[in-house]
Amino acid sequence: MRGTLRHDAASGGTVFDIGYQSYTGRREGRNRGRLAVFKNGVRTALGLGRGARAKILPWSFVTLLMGIALVMVLIAGATQRMAGPGVAAVLNLPSHADYYRIVAVIIFVFAALVAPELLCRDRRERTISLYLVRPLTGTDYVFARYAAFLTVVLAAVWIPQIILFFGLAIDDPAPGKYLAAHWRDVPRFLLAGLVMATYTTGLALLTASFTNRRAYASVFLVGLFVITAPFTAGLARMLDGPAGQWLSMFDLTNIPLYVNDIIFGEVSKVMQNAPARQLSETVHIGWYLAWTLLPAAGLWWRYRRMSP
Amino acid sequence: MTHAPDELLVADRLTKRYGRLLALDNVSFTIGNGITGLLGENGAGKSTAIRIFLGLAAPTSGSATALGRDASASVELRARLGYMPEHDCLPSHLSAAEFLTHMAEVSGLPPVTARTRAADTLRHTGLFEERYRPIGGYSTGMKQRVKLAQALVHDPAFVFLDEPTAGLDPVGREEMLSLIRKTYRDFGISVLMSSHLMADVERTCDRIVVFQGGRLVQSGEVDRFTSDTETVFLEVDRNREQLAAALQRRGVAVTDVGGGLTIEGPDESVYDAIRDALVEAEAPLRRMAPRRRALTELFDAAAAALPTGRN
Repeated sequence: MRGTLRHDAASGGTVFDIGYQSYTGRREGRNRGRLAVFKNGVRTALGLGRGARAKILPWSFVTLLMGIALVMVLIAGATQRMAGPGVAAVLNLPSHADYYRIVAVIIFVFAALVAPELLCRDRRERTISLYLVRPLTGTDYVFARYAAFLTVVLAAVWIPQIILFFGLAIDDPAPGKYLAAHWRDVPRFLLAGLVMATYTTGLALLTASFTNRRAYASVFLVGLFVITAPFTAGLARMLDGPAGQWLSMFDLTNIPLYVNDIIFGEVSKVMQNAPARQLSETVHIGWYLAWTLLPAAGLWWRYRRMSP
Repeated sequence: MTHAPDELLVADRLTKRYGRLLALDNVSFTIGNGITGLLGENGAGKSTAIRIFLGLAAPTSGSATALGRDASASVELRARLGYMPEHDCLPSHLSAAEFLTHMAEVSGLPPVTARTRAADTLRHTGLFEERYRPIGGYSTGMKQRVKLAQALVHDPAFVFLDEPTAGLDPVGREEMLSLIRKTYRDFGISVLMSSHLMADVERTCDRIVVFQGGRLVQSGEVDRFTSDTETVFLEVDRNREQLAAALQRRGVAVTDVGGGLTIEGPDESVYDAIRDALVEAEAPLRRMAPRRRALTELFDAAAAALPTGRN
């Protein structure tokens, strides 16, 4: 509001300090705030704008996910060239339906290690209190963080599938015919990717909401995803009937993969031996929805009335 | 609801109860332009009042309006309010420039404007040269200034400062008080400064609101409180006790404060009595000066007069 005039005798020039300027421009309100928290969440998850150390972890996983898709493309291409198209078709090489099964554990570990960073640090350093005294509610904040991590996971699972899709098309002796014959894989892998991303995002962020320490959340999540698989699979094999079927439903890595198989209309080799396979598709979809929507609701519940 | 331009915050019979605890008990006050000190000990209701004005807690009864709007009715109102918390709240891994830009965007400013405002605000708070360093490496004084800067970066109409000098050394404290004065006088942003340090409030604020046990015990201009309680301080080389006795014989209330005597509420007749008593006691006068009472004495008296127990 106030300015000062200063004369510089050496140069003969005049410097005018315009002082404090009030802001009279447009204020974009709550939506701008939500978008800012979302953008910050994406940057935090990927280590953008941070030093090299912050980038190593997320980009290692992204590179690994892409690398696996590239290897699948290279194997398909090599088989086509060395054994011929007929042999490649008979071999039934891994494709879109198999990709999420192959990378599921990598995605879960990625979520376990990266997602807590979006919530834990703000609470540990109490920066959350500065968000909540702005035109933003706890619901706005946590929804923006959820959307940010969901976006990152979606990109991490969709981009390799897109690489795989076009890679397989290029490998094919007749790419145009391949695209015409397989275009339905695109909505399928997008939907299956959404299933995988919503499932991991909800569970990972809900866990992160219970602790201020990222390491605690990560260890718990890795344990949850990795340890439940052999534990439930082993116990389920020892029990016959519905008890074994339902016990194998608690293999948390398989929950989105059953839905993946339903979307692609084919049963993967690993999944076909699981006792839970005998339950109906409706049960599997309902079970997936429960494990996706309830964690998301729990997360919202924990933040909805949070105050500084 | 209409409000006078000078009524930035209005509490009208405001009551807030947390279960059995009565945090605010039917308080009414108005805060206008300028720097207002919110005084009170821990648990007096200062933080509860700030939370209600920020729309973070709803009153149990009564009303609170900020900038003419019901404080609990709209989240958007907070775009025009700033808040500096007492506790640590800064992200150690971010630079001040990046953090302030983000906070300005969260407050609703467009990204390009947010960057400009962040740089300007850091310049005005004396952090421009250090703006690209991670906040984790800042001194306590610098962190306090970042906390103030984040409360100002979106150019609020009113800013709440919660114990802004907490943890600062004397130099840092002086710098912070100077910045607070500058916030209103140069930036035109009105301030409500919560503190339990009377000296800070006395030196910085134009007005005070004093809470005790959830009740309002005082409010008004700082000058009025300090001038209303003017006393005369007498210092003599010897015979201080005889002087006190001579004054008391003349009906003047005297307090021996060690090193001198204070006389309450003097008028012209008291000065005559002082002259006569000095002669009678044969006390050589070294110094006689009006003494302005500190706010702390006023607050202590008000607090002592207040009934205890408020459940």
